[in-house]
Amino acid sequence: MVQLEELIIHLLLNFIAREDLNAFLRNPQHTATIVGSLIAVSGALLGTFLLLRGMSLTSDAISHTVLLGIVVAFILMGSVFGRHPDLSSGWLIVGAAAAGVATVLLTELIYRSGLVKQDAALGLAFPLLFAIAVILVSRVVSDVHLDEDAVMVGEIGVAWANTNSHCLDGCESVTITPEDPRAETTRQCTNCRDLGISPRDDKAEFTQICTNCGHYSPAQAWQAGFTGQEPVLVFWPKSITVMAVLTLLTLLAIVLFYKELKLSTFDPTLAAALGFRPTLLHYGLMVLVSLVAVGAFDAVGSILVVAFFIIPPAAAYLLTDRLPRMLLYSSLIGAAGAYTGYDLARGNLLGIADLSDILAALNNLFGLGLSERWDSSISASMVLMTFLFFLVAWTFSPKYGLVSTMLRRRNQRRSFDHQVVLGHIHHHQDSPAAGEELAVSTLYRHFRWTPAKMQRTLRQLRAGNLVQIDAGLVTLTERGETRAHQFRQTQLTNESVGE
Amino acid sequence: MSVHSGRDPQNDSATALEIDDLTVAYNSKPAIWDIDLRVPEGVLMAVIGPNGAGKSTLIKAALKLIPRAAGTVRFYGQPYEHVRGLVGYVPQRGSVDWDFPTTVLDVVSMGLYGRLGWIRRPGQSERESAMHALEQVGMQDFADRQISQLSGGQQQRTFLARALVQDARIYLMDEPFAAVDAVTERAIITILRELRARGKTVVVVHHDLQTAPEYFDWVTLLNVEIVATGPIATTFTPDNLRQTYGGRVAYLHEGQRIAGLEEE
Repeated sequence: MVQLEELIIHLLLNFIAREDLNAFLRNPQHTATIVGSLIAVSGALLGTFLLLRGMSLTSDAISHTVLLGIVVAFILMGSVFGRHPDLSSGWLIVGAAAAGVATVLLTELIYRSGLVKQDAALGLAFPLLFAIAVILVSRVVSDVHLDEDAVMVGEIGVAWANTNSHCLDGCESVTITPEDPRAETTRQCTNCRDLGISPRDDKAEFTQICTNCGHYSPAQAWQAGFTGQEPVLVFWPKSITVMAVLTLLTLLAIVLFYKELKLSTFDPTLAAALGFRPTLLHYGLMVLVSLVAVGAFDAVGSILVVAFFIIPPAAAYLLTDRLPRMLLYSSLIGAAGAYTGYDLARGNLLGIADLSDILAALNNLFGLGLSERWDSSISASMVLMTFLFFLVAWTFSPKYGLVSTMLRRRNQRRSFDHQVVLGHIHHHQDSPAAGEELAVSTLYRHFRWTPAKMQRTLRQLRAGNLVQIDAGLVTLTERGETRAHQFRQTQLTNESVGE
Repeated sequence: MSVHSGRDPQNDSATALEIDDLTVAYNSKPAIWDIDLRVPEGVLMAVIGPNGAGKSTLIKAALKLIPRAAGTVRFYGQPYEHVRGLVGYVPQRGSVDWDFPTTVLDVVSMGLYGRLGWIRRPGQSERESAMHALEQVGMQDFADRQISQLSGGQQQRTFLARALVQDARIYLMDEPFAAVDAVTERAIITILRELRARGKTVVVVHHDLQTAPEYFDWVTLLNVEIVATGPIATTFTPDNLRQTYGGRVAYLHEGQRIAGLEEE
């Protein structure tokens, strides 16, 4: 991990000065946006396949149970190796992956018993594992940074502060021993306290101790004045590396196994028959979901992770009929949600409105006395923005949106009304009863329509030059005749396929 | 491959599919029981039986898609894993989600994934093969259509094209005639006959007793156990049907259809 960070840093330093890079990364917004976007992209890619497999909520289950993996790995690390790893350690990630797979296995075990339905099986399995995790956290792991806030909404806002420092130049670390000329020594009384005497007392015995001995990192050494050159450091947020690696891994898996994932999602039976291993692919996908969930856990907490898996694919699903585009769109929507979500958390809604101003206006109008500084959870705001994008897709998607569906239905209804009237005229215009059947004033009765609807329809038909009105009687124009004929041919015969 | 449809498959030494002692159980209730079956190469065979007779189960168990309780299955003398490329499978149309975001051509090229193996992507030549298969089923104009816009018959033809593109030696089809219109049914049977003419073996789970003698030259009557199997002319008899369906259906159709049988 550390080597990888150094590699990235050296690469970046070709394009950007070190001071600028540090300043860039020290800005909470930049780190939060980068981490959030990486979570959103990897979540969206995996979530697309989950959505198409009808198992979106599995990501919710897994994002909770990874906590068990984290805690168990934490305890094992503590008791076996005697050290506590931080939340980006590789072992915690292995534990989380195992927990994710365990969740799916347990769910299937319960489901296969045939006594419980699929969704209930999921609902049985994951609270169990999550409950065990919660108990372990509170009983066994006491002085650990796994508090409720972290579990609820994460701390993407402070992701910038948890860094690895990489030293590029002047990397002299210093160790001061008591023999060192720079060592500062002082005398300390060794028996004063025991005897209850003052150091001035004759009986007092003294020993030399060193006050500044120990190991100094390059930065500390420079601060303490042991080195003449200020070390050149880059402070790299750990969560960027973790999420970047996970995103790359996800991308790689989806690019390499795109065909296999697509086939086993669309038609697992054929996938099995052709010798691809749908079960293997299934668990591979679950491992990836667990990895991303645990990587994201730190940043956005276990409850909101699921939004990054579900909302962007759900929006993309409404926007396209092609899987590659769905993957692309959902990634873009996720990243856009993360990017604009940070601004929303600071009160800025897409650059359109400042929520602080709105609060101020409310205070002015109603005297509510609300705090006018809008400062809310970053991860929650990211989810809100992503949902906003979903809402836009849901309403305005050209093909499946609410608006276009409504318009299409209205057009269909209207064109059907037209056909009904055209058909009626076609049927009766040459019959003896034409005078009675086709009188404009009473035509509406034959359809049991309101006169207004009849008028409207006739107006539309006349505008389309499909009917003409002559001495109070409606007849088809030549165009109307053709249209009525066409309708009978295409709609009233059986479907003809491909010919 | 020089088997012609006119040739008597019984005298053909080659066995396309050989099943011995095959039993499959769901929750210890047998779905199919002790099946022994030989399908000669080059026949167009219907698997016929009432609902719950285990017709689909037989095909799925042969392809190891569901666990077998007992028994062996061999295609051309080999276990399925060794000869996947020789076996084409058409699942039931309802087994997949037709709202999946993909095109007709893409679904058809899935039939070629087995030949491609892991990781390799389909390319130009795969697209051409898929297009050719679509032409065979008369769906070339629908290649770029989103699959949710297809009618039931068009969906079935897409599945058939996906099997054709595999260029297998034996095809196992699960209810390809289920809920399709007359035009599609004629198109499908034409394709099945073409396959037989090219020496392929085709096994079809079939529901319609009316059309069975007209469409197929070989039949297996199944009701958990095998009731009878052999050339349709000698096997598709009122007695056997009565035994398969427990009397009811055979009686219903006896007058018209079995009479028609004598002429075949």
